[in-house]
Amino acid sequence: MTAAGVGRPVPELTQARVGGPGGPGRAGRAGRSRLAGRAGLRLVRLHAASRRVLICLLVLVACAAALRTALHWLPHTGVLSRQIPLIIEAGAAAVIGVTTRSPFGEPERATGRWLPWLRLALPVALTGAAVGALAAGSASAHLAYGSVGLLRDTAGFTGIALLAAAVLGGALSWIGPIAYLGVTLPALSGGWTTPWIWSARPPHDHGAAICAALVFAAGVAVITARGARDSTRE
Amino acid sequence: MTAATAPVTAPRSWRVPSAAGPARLLRVELRRSPMLWLLPLLAAAFYVSTYRPAMDNPPFWNIRSGMVQSHTMLVFAPLLAGAGAWVGSRDGRRGLVDLVGVTAVPRWAGQLATWAAATIWAEALYLAGVGVLYGVTADQGAWGGPLWWPVAVGVGCVAASCAVGFAAGERLPGRFTAGLAALVVFLALAGGAFAIQDQVTYAQIWPLNVQGPWPADSYGIFYPYLPDLAIAQVMFLAGLGAAALGALGWPAGAGSRWLRGAAAAVTVAGLAAAGTGTALAGTARVEANGMVIPALHDAASDRPTPYTPVCAQGAVPVCLQPAYRADLADVTTALGPLLSQLAGLPGAPVRVTQVAVTTVQSEIENGIGFGGPAISGHPPVLYLPLSGMTLPGEGNTPATSFISSLRQQYGPQIVNELVGLPGGTATVGVNPGVGPDRAAQFAVAQALEQVLNLNGPSLIRSVPPGARGNGPASGGDTNGVSPSSAQLQSAIQRFAALPAGTRHAWLATHLAALRAGRVTLSEIP
Repeated sequence: MTAAGVGRPVPELTQARVGGPGGPGRAGRAGRSRLAGRAGLRLVRLHAASRRVLICLLVLVACAAALRTALHWLPHTGVLSRQIPLIIEAGAAAVIGVTTRSPFGEPERATGRWLPWLRLALPVALTGAAVGALAAGSASAHLAYGSVGLLRDTAGFTGIALLAAAVLGGALSWIGPIAYLGVTLPALSGGWTTPWIWSARPPHDHGAAICAALVFAAGVAVITARGARDSTRE
Repeated sequence: MTAATAPVTAPRSWRVPSAAGPARLLRVELRRSPMLWLLPLLAAAFYVSTYRPAMDNPPFWNIRSGMVQSHTMLVFAPLLAGAGAWVGSRDGRRGLVDLVGVTAVPRWAGQLATWAAATIWAEALYLAGVGVLYGVTADQGAWGGPLWWPVAVGVGCVAASCAVGFAAGERLPGRFTAGLAALVVFLALAGGAFAIQDQVTYAQIWPLNVQGPWPADSYGIFYPYLPDLAIAQVMFLAGLGAAALGALGWPAGAGSRWLRGAAAAVTVAGLAAAGTGTALAGTARVEANGMVIPALHDAASDRPTPYTPVCAQGAVPVCLQPAYRADLADVTTALGPLLSQLAGLPGAPVRVTQVAVTTVQSEIENGIGFGGPAISGHPPVLYLPLSGMTLPGEGNTPATSFISSLRQQYGPQIVNELVGLPGGTATVGVNPGVGPDRAAQFAVAQALEQVLNLNGPSLIRSVPPGARGNGPASGGDTNGVSPSSAQLQSAIQRFAALPAGTRHAWLATHLAALRAGRVTLSEIP
């Protein structure tokens, strides 16, 4: 998307703003409402395009395919049955975190009235897409800890990615889930019991689920309120 | 003063020696490398993934040295690949490719300087972490010396991770590249673990593989650490990194024709080294002291490491390798009561000596099986391996747990060895492997284990099929007719109820006959 593309006005919206053929009556209000909806959709589309959401979705599909392939070969028990799905979930979360990076920086912050809502909707929608894609990828195969574990772990990883995006910047947000994963994998065989290493806990562990949910909520809240950290050099 | 009146000075020469260009560039890159900002994170990752688990283990060089390869690289390799990709994609992300392509320094040299700066910082942090860990281990009085080959593999893995990530970032600059590079490296490491568990021969090259299936505490003490596998891994990692970096020098804009030729040669050499390392790892096999690659094996490594054992005196002296000095009291506590009961009996050990292993064999899923204690020699010596056992302090294991485990795991095996049963018999009860002609041996062994509290209260779990209840009233005999469970239990209880002195005296008289299978159940007092 180019700057010219962003600035191009919607012709119908311009027409409705000045009254249009039907004048400023009921039909005009309905038209304005309809056109505002179209403008909103366009805003969402442009926001998604600026965050490379399409590539993100493609990567999520690739992750689902990788999970499906891995589950075909993986043993049903043991550390390996958990490790590889966790790596794929962390990868999906890392990609979601990277989408928070804005290519516009300060101008967008200054002028984007709907920006917080878009920043809220995008990671939540992508997390849902990731969980859905990975759940579809693991359907009809044995996934250790099941869909509940998948939801918990993906949400937790995504929360870490979003928090990392707020601290390090969107482009470096992958560091959060990857580093957390590096700490988690030894814990799988080490029998750690802290709920903050939720990936190493069984899916029915309420403490682990609460910790993952808290991290996800914190990540979404921070990204909604502040957005990813901008770097002037990137 | 005007320009016209300014004194004329000789023009300063701005010619820079040819070698100074990349060196200056390296200095600049060292100051500006994004890896600097990652160092705190890497330090924290080292602490969590390596230092803390290492401190949860007793101060053995083999355990802690293995961790700087396996534990550290599991975290470092993906992070460094991602960071390398981030560094490598810098020019592409900022739209500077054309600009830096026309500088005086060849493009490939500039890229190598950027990679080198990132790698130097990562290596410095890794080596600093290893230094701290080794320093603390030495301060805790670990016996022997640090193992450096795992560190060499770690150094190679750091460089290769940075190189692979850097090449990926350079080729595919984009916002997702760094994260995906980290993800791919993580998946590759996990895939290697899966392949090695699936007994894929060439998977031994996996960089986190220290000594194949050998537990960390079972090599490098009694015999030198075998570096065969580590050498192959270093070859593989160096080749992988060289191939990745060499591939960056292929494009026309990378430099002169000579430079591109050199890059191609580096790539080919790297691929050859990586392929050779993998092929060598495919020939690795489990031997008595570690993983051996015949083409790389040095026969000098097969000579045992000299040491002066540390001994505890008692009815039967117990001698351990000095690395296990801290465990001597626990081993004596665990086996002392048993050994004092057996002291003086014919064939009973007069001394306990720790050995590396008694027997070793490969098992499925990259497993390894160690033999238990063995009694042999004249005078008889009990050879006691501690490999594979969870030592006190290992993973917060208390000494009481180690004592109990040692007594219950090895005690029955020692008793069985003494009465002439196969070592592992007592743990599974009477079984077809024992046979009815060994009923008396079994009963005596079970009685001793009961008296010494070696194996829990319920001892008889099964009797050979078809043998239950059809034995003669006088008990089992040596004609192949098995005793009933009641007869066995009766003999066990009779013998266990004897006073210790009477029991010892009977054993002293009849142990040779018992071991030879010439004693029946009814003859047991």
